[in-house]
Amino acid sequence: MNPILSVEGVTAGYGRVTVLHDISLEAGRFGNVGLFGPNGHGKTTLLRAVSGLLQPKSGRILFDGQDIAGRSARAIVGAGLIHVPQGNRLFPDLSIADCMALGAYSPRARLHEAENRAKVIRLFPKLAERWRQRVRTLSGGERQMVSIGTALMSHPRLLILDEPTLGLAPKIKDELCASVMDISRGGVPLIVVEQDIEFLLELTQQLYLVNHGAVATEIKPGESLDHGEIMSMYFGH
Amino acid sequence: MSALAEILFGGLFQGSLYAMMAVGLALVWTTIGVFNFSHGVFMMLGAYIAWQLIELGLPAAVAFPIAVVVMAGVGWILQASVVRPLIGRPNIVLVVVITTLAAGSLIENGALTIWGPRSKQIPALIAGNATIGGVGVSLHQIAIIVITPLILAALWVFLNRTRLGLALRAVAQNEDASHLVGLNVTALYGLAFAIAASLAGLAGIFMGGYRFMSPVMGSDPLLKALIVVVFGGISSISGPIFAAYLIGFFEAACSYYFGLYWTPALLFGVLILTLMVRPEGIFASRSRGLA
Repeated sequence: MNPILSVEGVTAGYGRVTVLHDISLEAGRFGNVGLFGPNGHGKTTLLRAVSGLLQPKSGRILFDGQDIAGRSARAIVGAGLIHVPQGNRLFPDLSIADCMALGAYSPRARLHEAENRAKVIRLFPKLAERWRQRVRTLSGGERQMVSIGTALMSHPRLLILDEPTLGLAPKIKDELCASVMDISRGGVPLIVVEQDIEFLLELTQQLYLVNHGAVATEIKPGESLDHGEIMSMYFGH
Repeated sequence: MSALAEILFGGLFQGSLYAMMAVGLALVWTTIGVFNFSHGVFMMLGAYIAWQLIELGLPAAVAFPIAVVVMAGVGWILQASVVRPLIGRPNIVLVVVITTLAAGSLIENGALTIWGPRSKQIPALIAGNATIGGVGVSLHQIAIIVITPLILAALWVFLNRTRLGLALRAVAQNEDASHLVGLNVTALYGLAFAIAASLAGLAGIFMGGYRFMSPVMGSDPLLKALIVVVFGGISSISGPIFAAYLIGFFEAACSYYFGLYWTPALLFGVLILTLMVRPEGIFASRSRGLA
């Protein structure tokens, strides 16, 4: 299977600070991809470059064979690459219904609006109960559901989740992980950034350790690694 | 009885003009997060364009809508030239204050060069006068009092009941997230400016119909609109609308009881008091958003 996304030698950063140094990775060849590694080493920056929020200084980003590096976020969303950013800030004063309508804003997604809405409600029945409520009045877990639901409304061909379980209570986290597994089983390939390695090992087939703005280690399917090895990657020897 | 009628009428009339101006300021602030100091110039330009079109022989009923549409274009261009290039820079609020002030000054002096300093007037929306409750009023003013709430209601419907309005409200709340659902943020910024400029231009046409026009006619209404948005809170659309009418009534009452001379002083007294007691504005919640 060809990779749906391949990042080739991307360098990017903010102003004069370079965060990503010639980073390369592939997604979609073996299934879902997990990114992990210490905070502040470029995972979020990489995702921002992929989704068009940040213009890479050099390198290519191929989505479905087309170079999307430097394209507008709108064009990238239009192509079906959907990014759920970290921290579920979203649109605090809009209702859940409004967020779902926004998710289906691109012409491609609008064709599937009703079908995707049904999918979101099936996946997150809690949201249906609070359909007209403002996002700011929801709990952290519910807000994360709205974030992911909004992304599903965009009819993703590749879904990127940046720390979906960050700061959630364990019970809610388990529920959300189950929902993410459901989405994956529904046929949407995922790229997930997570600190919870157990969840990543369960969800993904291929892992990248991102360190100092580059891929430090790639773990392909079949290659397993134990807890101790991961810990040493995080903290050094 | 006639005192009350006079205050009521004066308040409604002034409030309408202030609301038209303040809503545009608030729209631009909530969506882009900048303050547009050329807003008063939009008002002047709307009136002058209407005057020019009438001078060219167009009937007022045609000239007025054209002027309003042209103002939308002017707003868009101004946004693209002195606001958009600065987005993302540090201190954008302050920088845009300067650039819009500068653009406003250029346009004001441009108008002075093109049209000259002599005062002009455009026809009233409806000619004639009437007496209501013992107060003599012009039909033009009645028309403004009736039309303004309709336009503001239309704006509300647009913002709250259409997909494009939803997109504008979304951009107001979270720019990154707006990019990530595929909104054309740049175009929405332009749209916010275009709507604001159109409303200001219309306010200018309203004003040119009962008062003499001059290139600096927009500066006083801009000042009043500033007071209104500080008073009502700039973080929403409805806050400034209520505040505009309140300020209008307040001004009418002050003029009636204390005279025109004291009105500005009292108005600023209210402004200072508001800033001390409730700096976010009396109708504001503490967040930004169009509602």
